[in-house]
This record gives sequence, C-alpha cells and structure tokens, in this order.
Amino acid sequence: MTGILTLQGVVSGYQADLPIIRDVSLGVAKGEFVVLLGPNGAGKSTLVKTVAGLVPMHAGRVTLAGRDITNVPAHQKLRDGLGFVPQTENIFATMTIRENLQLAAQILPKARRADRIEAMFQMFPDLAARPSTRAGGLSGGQRQMLAVARALVIEPEVLILDEPSAGLSPKMVSEVFEQLGRINQTGVTMLLVEQNVRAGLEIASRGVILVEGRVAHDAPAADLQGDPIVSRLYLGGHQPRTKVS
Amino acid sequence: MQGLMDGLINGTIIGLGAIGVTLTYSILRFANFAHGELVSWGAYLALSISAALGALLPGLGTPIGPFSFGWSVPIAIAGSIILTSTLALGVDWLLFARLRAKGSAVIILVMASFGAALAMRNLLEFIYTSQPAYFTTALQISKPLFAGMRATPDQLLVIGLSGVLVLVVHLLLTRSSAGRSMRAVSENVQLASLSGIDVRSVIRMVWILGAALAAIGGIMSGLLVQIRPTMGLDLLLPLFAAAILGGIGSVPGAMLAGIIVGLAEALTVQMIGAEWRAAVSFVILIGVLLMRPQGLFGKAMA
Repeated sequence: MTGILTLQGVVSGYQADLPIIRDVSLGVAKGEFVVLLGPNGAGKSTLVKTVAGLVPMHAGRVTLAGRDITNVPAHQKLRDGLGFVPQTENIFATMTIRENLQLAAQILPKARRADRIEAMFQMFPDLAARPSTRAGGLSGGQRQMLAVARALVIEPEVLILDEPSAGLSPKMVSEVFEQLGRINQTGVTMLLVEQNVRAGLEIASRGVILVEGRVAHDAPAADLQGDPIVSRLYLGGHQPRTKVS
Repeated sequence: MQGLMDGLINGTIIGLGAIGVTLTYSILRFANFAHGELVSWGAYLALSISAALGALLPGLGTPIGPFSFGWSVPIAIAGSIILTSTLALGVDWLLFARLRAKGSAVIILVMASFGAALAMRNLLEFIYTSQPAYFTTALQISKPLFAGMRATPDQLLVIGLSGVLVLVVHLLLTRSSAGRSMRAVSENVQLASLSGIDVRSVIRMVWILGAALAAIGGIMSGLLVQIRPTMGLDLLLPLFAAAILGGIGSVPGAMLAGIIVGLAEALTVQMIGAEWRAAVSFVILIGVLLMRPQGLFGKAMA
C-alpha cells in the first residue's frame, strides 16, 4: 500500500476476540478525496476511529506521511498531521466558537495560533459572524462547520470525517459537502465516511466499500456511481464478496 | 451576629474542599469520598513540617505581625501542598488509575474511594494518635469589626486568602489553556483527546489542584480550631453538599455554596442546637437533589 495514509492488514474492535475490522488494507494518496461506504454495521466508523486511535487495534499497521502512527495515542496523532471529525459530539457545546478553535489550536506554536484561527474564520464566515456564541446554540450545519474548522485549525495532512451529513437537512448536506470539496481543493487529503452513497460518490474521487469489516470494492467514484452491484448492495442488502478492482 | 462570622469562616474552609470535590467529580466522573482525608493529611503534614522547622530553627516560630504563627507555618503550607498532592497522585496511581484502565463502573470507583478514605484515616490515627493537635496554643484576642461581629487576625487572613484562592482558580480555569483543557475533558473526554489534550496530564492537574486546596483548607481549620484524624470525615457531608449546591464543575459555585453551608450550620447551632449541626448539610444535600439537582451554577443535565 502506498499513499500519504496507509493501512496494512488492520484488525480492530473493542474486544480482541470479536474484531469488527478484519484485515483491511487501504492507501489514500496525497490530495485524494476518498469516500468510505458500506451498509450499516460494516465497520466504517470503527475503521476511521481505529486510525484516529479511539478503537483498539489488534493487528496491522497505519502510516501517515511515512511515519508509523499505529501505536501513537489519539492525542498525539494531531501532531503527526491527522485531523478527525467524529460523527456526534464533535464540538464543545459549553464553549464559545472562538474557545473551540482556541482549544484546537493549543498544540500549535503560540505565534501561529491567532493566524490559524483567523484563517478558519475566513474559510467559515458563518462562524466569524458570531465568535462569542456558545457552540451548543448553533444549528446542525453550523455545528458541523465548527467541527470541521476545529480539525482544520492545525492544518492536518489528512482530514477524516465520520458521517458529517448525519442528521442534517438535504440543503445543509449539500452546503457541508460543497465546503468539503473546497477544502480538498486547497490540498487537504480527505477520507470521508458516508451513508449517503450518491452524495458521497459525487464529491469524492474514489470510493471504498466496506462489508463485514473487509474491503469489498475499491474503485474510482465515477465507476462505482454506475455500478449495478453498488445499488443492489444498498437497496437489496445483497453483499457480494469479490473485489471489482 | 457573631454566629455569622463563625459560619463564614467555616464556610470558606468547606468551600476550598468543595472546589476539589467538584473538580474531581467533573473530570473523573465519580464522587471521591476520600477527598476529606486529603484535608486531614494536608493539616497533619503541615503540622509535622512546622514542628520540624520549629525544632531546627526556633526563630521561625516567632509570630508574624498580628498573627498567631511564625514563618514556619507558611513554609509548612508550601511543603504540605507538595506532599498532599504527591499523596493524591499516589492514591490515584495505586487505585483509581488501575480501575479506570479496566473500565470499572462508577460505583466501583466510589466504593474504592470509601476504602481509600478508611485506610488513609486509620493510617493518620496510627501515626499521630487520635488526640487533637494544634499549630499553636497561643490565644488570640478577637478584634471588633462591625455590627457586633468580632474576628481574630488569623480568621480574617483565612477569609481573605480563601477569596484570593477562589479568584486564582477561577481565572486559571476560565482564562488559561490549562483551564480550557480541564473544561474540555470535563465536557467530552474523547473529543478532548482528539483535540490533542493529554487526558492523563489533565487528571494529574486536577489531583494536584484539589489536593492543594484541600491541604490549605485543612491547615486553615487547624490554625483556627484543631487538627484531628477525623476532621476530613466530619467535613465530608458539608463538602458534598457544597459541591452539589454550587453546581458540579463550578468553582465560584462551590465556594459560595460552602459559605451558605457554613452559615446555615452556624445559624442552626444558634437557633436550634449544636446537636443539629451535622444534619444541616444532609438537609441541604437532599433539598438540592430534589429541587435543583444541577445546583446554583451547574448546567441542567440532558
């Protein structure tokens, strides 16, 4: 496996004798936008949480920009350039927007913190308009924007997002996805977990489909969009075992 | 009116201990029933340091200005803060950290804290006996203040120092990056970790801060009244009543609630009888839990 983010033979799960992820190998190239799809319970969230250091890994290896981050604790992975946006509870609701960003910027050298927070306010004008508002009072879309901004403050090499569209209205989803596309165009490598197959494949350049903790498909997004197996997989629940690429 | 002054002084000591309880509760998410023992240990450790200093350098025992104690006591406070914090970190390493690592339920941690309290209290009694001890036996004359209230210089110092400490801790939590990290861990451990915060170092910080304030509270109590191995046990209910009344996680809330508990105790002693003093905290605790479980400054639980 090659790429800025690589996973080799990853086996993980909350209990060693009950792995949820069973031997996943995956590479994400620099600047690439990969969407991770799969039916409910396939292990999409578990896989990205494993990379972030939130789920115990029982076998395998993860590298980021050539560095082995397999055994690096979650709080130090940021320093290696990994940004992670959890699906839920991804902002500090009792803190203001500015405090959320200040907290995320804490690992940066002091001289860079204010500049990076300002850069986030320029990228997300909605947040800049109300820096002293408590994050708990924001709308669903604004919360997701803040969650993304929190992860982007440190200028990560790779940004992983766990279902940012969950619970959002269709209008909000397209707004959030447009923003994600813009972020990817600035050179940030993205790995997105998504339930919404159509939206996910439209925005990403490559799709990886996970089934029962294993990679079932790994192909360019355009190829997967027209693939009848993919639609059957989601509409009928039939789960093919062979890789198409 | 004098009862109010006594209640205020006692309340500030309760408040200092309650800040530690509230911080431990909000960061570690369990009620640490051993916190009162840190108050007792803080007082005894300071007493030992002060006695040793007094024996080695008798000049340090000469009273400073209007106060009843010499320089040996401020030095002993500093030493006691270091040792009590080390003790708290030691108990965490030996007991609570292992239970956290195993993912133990909250009730296990609470029960463990009961055990730790018992062991710490008995060890104290074994080393120092159950006889009351004093920093100084010198009598201080209280001076009239206003409205018929009187206070000794030591008592005024305790109130002033407590106020300064609350302000410092409040500013630390609200203005510094260390405080922001603590608030982050208190709200969401996982997200704090994903924000680059080393949760273990925040936990250490909380133990040090809680133990330091408990030690100072114990020393103040020792200066104004006496030191006994059961002083922490006696404070336990008032500490929890204040922490819950103030709202879990609120430092000013814990101090204000500590003063309310202290004043309520003093008024009860005056108006009903001294034997009802211990019931006051219990009544406050039950009342708050029934009517406003989030306390004065806490956020309502979702």
